[in-house]
Amino acid sequence: MLDEPKQPLVRVDNLKMHFPIFGGLLRRRTGEVKAVDGISFDIFEGETLGLVGESGCGKSTVGRSVLRLYEVTDGSVTIDGRDIAHAPPEELRQMRTQMQMIFQDPQASLNPRMKVSEIIAEPLREHHAGTATERRQRVLELMDQVGLNRDFANRYPHEFSGGQRQRIGIARALALNPKFIVCDEPIAALDVSIQAQVVNLLEELQNELGLTYLFISHDLSMVRHIADRVAVMYLGRIVELAPRDALYDDPLHPYTKALLSAVPEPDPAIEEKVERIILTGDVPSPSNPPQGCNFCTRCPAVMDICKRDEPEFREVQPGRFVACHHFNDII
Amino acid sequence: MPDGPAPVQEPVLDVRSLKTVFKTRSGEVHAVNDVSFDVRPGELLGVVGESGSGKSVTMMSLIGLLPSPPADIRGGQVLFDGNDLLATDAETLRKVRGGRIGFVFQDPMTSLNPVFNVGFQIMEPLRRHMGMTKAQARLRACELLELVGIPDASRRLKDYPHQFSGGMRQRVMIAIALACDPKVLIADEPTTALDVTIQAQIIELVKDLREKLGMAIIWITHDLGVIAGIADRVMVMYAGQVVEQAPTRELFGNPQHPYTRALLETIPTVRGARPEKLNVIQGQPPILGAAPSACPFRDRCAFRFDRCDRENPVRIPAGPGHDAACFYDFNTGGPRGA
Ligand SMILES: Nc1ncnc2c1ncn2[C@@H]1O[C@H](COP(=O)(O)OP(=O)(O)OP(=O)(O)O)[C@@H](O)[C@H]1O
Ligand SMILES: Nc1ncnc2c1ncn2[C@@H]1O[C@H](COP(=O)(O)OP(=O)(O)OP(=O)(O)O)[C@@H](O)[C@H]1O
Ligand code: SF4
Ligand SMILES: [Mg+2]
Ligand SMILES: [Mg+2]
Repeated sequence: MLDEPKQPLVRVDNLKMHFPIFGGLLRRRTGEVKAVDGISFDIFEGETLGLVGESGCGKSTVGRSVLRLYEVTDGSVTIDGRDIAHAPPEELRQMRTQMQMIFQDPQASLNPRMKVSEIIAEPLREHHAGTATERRQRVLELMDQVGLNRDFANRYPHEFSGGQRQRIGIARALALNPKFIVCDEPIAALDVSIQAQVVNLLEELQNELGLTYLFISHDLSMVRHIADRVAVMYLGRIVELAPRDALYDDPLHPYTKALLSAVPEPDPAIEEKVERIILTGDVPSPSNPPQGCNFCTRCPAVMDICKRDEPEFREVQPGRFVACHHFNDII
Repeated sequence: MPDGPAPVQEPVLDVRSLKTVFKTRSGEVHAVNDVSFDVRPGELLGVVGESGSGKSVTMMSLIGLLPSPPADIRGGQVLFDGNDLLATDAETLRKVRGGRIGFVFQDPMTSLNPVFNVGFQIMEPLRRHMGMTKAQARLRACELLELVGIPDASRRLKDYPHQFSGGMRQRVMIAIALACDPKVLIADEPTTALDVTIQAQIIELVKDLREKLGMAIIWITHDLGVIAGIADRVMVMYAGQVVEQAPTRELFGNPQHPYTRALLETIPTVRGARPEKLNVIQGQPPILGAAPSACPFRDRCAFRFDRCDRENPVRIPAGPGHDAACFYDFNTGGPRGA
C-alpha cells in the first residue's frame, strides 16, 4: 500500500455512458441502455483499482469511457489534471501516449499478419517516436522487460501460447511509457499458472515504473491479489468501494456479500462447507432499471424504502463507500 | 459435490487413442497424442490442463470441426450412438453436431456470426434439427435466453452480437448449445467471461438438465473451483496427453502426477490467507514437433529420474477409477513398481 497520501492520477466524476436503442420499422430511437449511469471514483498514482461485478454491468464500458474510446453521455474524466472527456483532438492525441489499454483477448487484438516486433513498435511509429534504429532498440528492451525472448522478435502471433501473446500485448501497451493502463480482463483466457505469471509481471512493472492500473476482472481471487482498492459495480453503478482487505474480510453491501459467497472454492472439502447466498429474482435490464435501488429486485435484505428511493453512494467508514439504505443512519 | 459414483452404465461417448497433428510451414505440431477417455450418461467430466495442452483441439477433432489441412487426424476412434464419428460421412456428422452433441466454443465472438442477429442464430438449429416452425422456434429461443439469465429476452433476440457484453455472448452460445436437448454437451471454457453469480446460475441449470435429461457433460475450464463444485470425474491434460484421471475428490485429495500437484499449488482463493506472491509453475511446456519419446513434463518436474528421459510413461492405475502417467510413485516415494 501507499506510504503517504498521494494525488489522484485519475478522477472520474458522475460518468454516464448511455447507448441508444433503435426500434420499430423506421429504426427510430426508442430508448437507451444505461450501461454506465453516474459513477465517481479516484485512482491514486501508483495504485491499482480493481473493478468487479456481474457480466454486463458496465465494466468494459467504464474502461473504454475513461480512455475516451467512447464519447461519453455525461460527467468528467480527469487524468493527470487534464479533462480528457472534453479535450480537443490534438490535446487528446498527446494525452493518449500517457494511457493504454490491455485487452481480454490477446489473439483478437494482435494483427496476425504482423511480426511481433512490428506489433510492439506500432504505437511508436504512430506517434513518430524516435528513428527506426531507436525504435528497434526500444522493442528489444520492451521484450526483455516482459520476459519475451529477443529471438522471437520475427515470429508471428499464432506461434505463441496464450500467455506469451498476452505479454506481447503488455509490451505494446508499455511502448510509449504510459502512466495509466486499463487492463480489461487481461487474464480471463489463461490457465492459472500463466495468470499468476501475468499478474506477477504487472506487479513488478508497477513497482519499477510507478504505473497506475484500472484492473477490470470478474475473477475475485486475482483481484484480491493485485488490487489496492476494489470497486464493485452493479447495473451501471458502483455499489461499494473499499480498501482490498476491508472488502474481502468484511463486505458491507448485500451484493458484495453475495458475490464473495458465490466464489467457487478449489478444495472440495472446504467447498462443501462454504455458505452460499444464492440470488433469486429477476435480473433487471440496463435499458429499464428498477425504481429505487438498482439491486432491489434480487437483494436478500430488501426493505420497502429500497423500492422507492435510490440509495446514496456515501462514505460510511473512513475510505469505505457504500450505496445501500441499510447504511443510512451512519453519519 | 455430487455423491459417489453413479451406477455403472455404458459410455455415451468413448474416445480411443485420438491423434491429431497440424502441418504448418515450420513443421508438424503434434497437438493431441493418444488421448483416450469416455463419459457416461448423466456424468460430468471436468477437463483441466495447461494453455496449449490440446484440450480444445481434442474436442474439435472428435466432432470434425478442424479444417484439414492444416489438421490431420492420424488415428483413433470416437464411438457415439453406435457410430465411429471419425469414420462417418460429413452429412451424419453435421446432424450429430448441434443436435445430439451440443458444443460451446471457447471464443464466443469468433463463433457467433456478426452479420446475423442472435435470435436467428438460436432459432436456426431448432428449425434444422427439431423441425420447429418459426413461431415455435422464436418462443423456445426466448425461453432459452431467459434460462441463461439474459434480461429482456424477447427484445434482445433482434440484437447483434456486438451489442452484447462479453459474458452475454457466452450465454447466447450456451443457449444455442442447449437448444436441441443434446445427449452430450461439450463446453469449452463456457463461463470464463461470466461473474460468479451468473456462473452459479448456469451451473445450476446444467446440473438440472443433467438430472432431467441424463445429459453427459464435458466441461473444460481453468477454474479449479468450478471443477471442485461440479465435476464427477476430472481429466488432466499436459502437452497433448492425458496425464491423470480420477474422481474429483480423489484428484484434489490425492493427486498422483507432478503436474497436477504443481497446478493445485498455483490456485489463489478469496478465503484464508493472502500470499505475497502468486505461485507459478516454473519453465515452459515442450514444443510438440514430434510425438514425445520421453516424459513431456520432465524439464519442469521435481521428481524426475533417469527413466523419465528415456520413456514416455503411459497411464498406470493409481487407485479405484484413478490413473496417472508418471514413473514416480508418491505412495512409496520412489520409482513406480520398485
Ligand atoms: N455498442 C453497444 N451498443 C449497445 N449496447 C451496448 C454496447 N456496448 C455495450 N452495451 C451494453 O451495455 C451493457 C454493459 O456492457 P459492458 O460490455 O460494459 O459490460 P461488462 O461489465 O464489461 O460485462 P462482461 O463482464 O460480460 O464483459 C450491456 O448491457 C451491453 O449489452
Ligand atoms: N491451426 C493450428 N496450427 C498449428 N498449431 C495449432 C493450430 N491450432 C492449435 N494449434 C496448437 O495445438 C496445441 C493445442 O492447442 P489447444 O487450442 O487445443 O490448447 P488448449 O488446451 O485448448 O489451450 P487453452 O487452455 O489455451 O485454450 C497448441 O500448441 C496450439 O498452438
Ligand atoms: S439498498 Fe436495499 S435493495 Fe439495495 S442493496 Fe441495500 S438492502 Fe438491498
Ligand atoms: Mg467486459
Ligand atoms: Mg482451448
